[in-house]
Amino acid sequence: MSSSIAVPPPSRRLVSPRVLLAMLVLWAGLVTAGFFALWRYKAASAPVSESGSPAVWPAASGLQPSADRATLVLFAHPKCPCTHASVTELAKLMARLHDRVELRVAIVRPTAVPPDWDDTELVSRATAIPGARVSHDDGGVEAARFGVVASGHVLVFDRGGRRLFSGGITSSRGHEGDSFGLRRIDSLLTVGTADRADAPVFGCAFDEPAKRKEES
Amino acid sequence: MSDVSTEAAVQAIVARAEERFQQSRQALFASTDRLMAFLMAGQWVFAVALALMVSPWAWAGKTQTVHPHVWAAVVLGLVLSAMPIALAFLRPGWVVTRHVIAAAQMLWSGLLIHLSGGRIETHFHVFGSLGILAGYRDWRVLATATVVVAGEHFVRGIVWPESIYGIPNPEWWRFLEHAFWVVFAVVFLGFLAKRGKQEMRTLAERGAEIEALAEGEWRKASVLSRAAS
Repeated sequence: MSSSIAVPPPSRRLVSPRVLLAMLVLWAGLVTAGFFALWRYKAASAPVSESGSPAVWPAASGLQPSADRATLVLFAHPKCPCTHASVTELAKLMARLHDRVELRVAIVRPTAVPPDWDDTELVSRATAIPGARVSHDDGGVEAARFGVVASGHVLVFDRGGRRLFSGGITSSRGHEGDSFGLRRIDSLLTVGTADRADAPVFGCAFDEPAKRKEES
Repeated sequence: MSDVSTEAAVQAIVARAEERFQQSRQALFASTDRLMAFLMAGQWVFAVALALMVSPWAWAGKTQTVHPHVWAAVVLGLVLSAMPIALAFLRPGWVVTRHVIAAAQMLWSGLLIHLSGGRIETHFHVFGSLGILAGYRDWRVLATATVVVAGEHFVRGIVWPESIYGIPNPEWWRFLEHAFWVVFAVVFLGFLAKRGKQEMRTLAERGAEIEALAEGEWRKASVLSRAAS
């Protein structure tokens, strides 16, 4: 009887079982190492200012705090891909708590860049959040006043201008979803307390690497 | 026909049915391996495009460098796809090939979730992949996929819990919540795979019976033809 189903024979002669086993072990090792390297990168938080953020709203700031509710300020590097996740989470947070907090977004522009340097999708997305007041922070003057050195850093101040929270609102670099920061801000604005008033920030630095090295 | 020759004919049909079943199963494994090899290559291209689109550069002030996601997509993606592709062409239909493909496919879900910035929509890749792997009609392949997903969650949950749950100390049942939906899909896909395998066996038996009948008819025709001449 003849078979109508053709079965391709395995090419056993091309690679010996020993070589195949070695290839499999090497592959498993490389994949594991690759994922660990990726996780390590994603979990590395951004640098923080040594002086930290001020306890009260800086009097010299050009940003206007809310008169009748808390104020949340996001500092963002306009080209930072990680901050897209922060903006996504911020939009969700504002949808829930817009009656308790006003949003300010400061887009930090380095000095001597073309006028359209910060004409990015991130800025458009931040601007599209209902109630958001977006301003441009040339040379990072406001960021320095608020003790912020990396994109995605969020500060929350109460009606009286006292700082309630300082930190990030994502769980890792550019990763959407629940995070310490979100839970703490939510708790501070709804219940009035939280286990901590900070969270790691994951985002691009505002300063050049060389400048940070000189300062340190 | 005597009882002895009838028994022998039945045995021949049973043996032929088993042979046809094994052949069609092997052909299914080999063709699915090749299909998955194309999927592996396609996912790599997609991952590189995704990384270039979503996060091409990392920034520090005005300084831009290639974003680590791009390197992850290019290098890790290539490594991840290379072995399944190699096995699909060197050893199509081999049992190890499909299990390596299942493991790699689930790890692709993890990589794509990272590259997309943890978008909830990208998590659908896990369930899409389970559905595709069900094409092997082998519940063991689905079991391997489940173990890899669970293992990746388990290790990451220990090393870095906030990357899965967003917070460092999630409620104890959060792991079960994640696992439940995977197990839910796998149980039903496994059942369907088993049914598909049974249908293959039935088809093989019918094929063997038709072959035997055709052979019998041919013999009868030959005898009649000889008698007539």
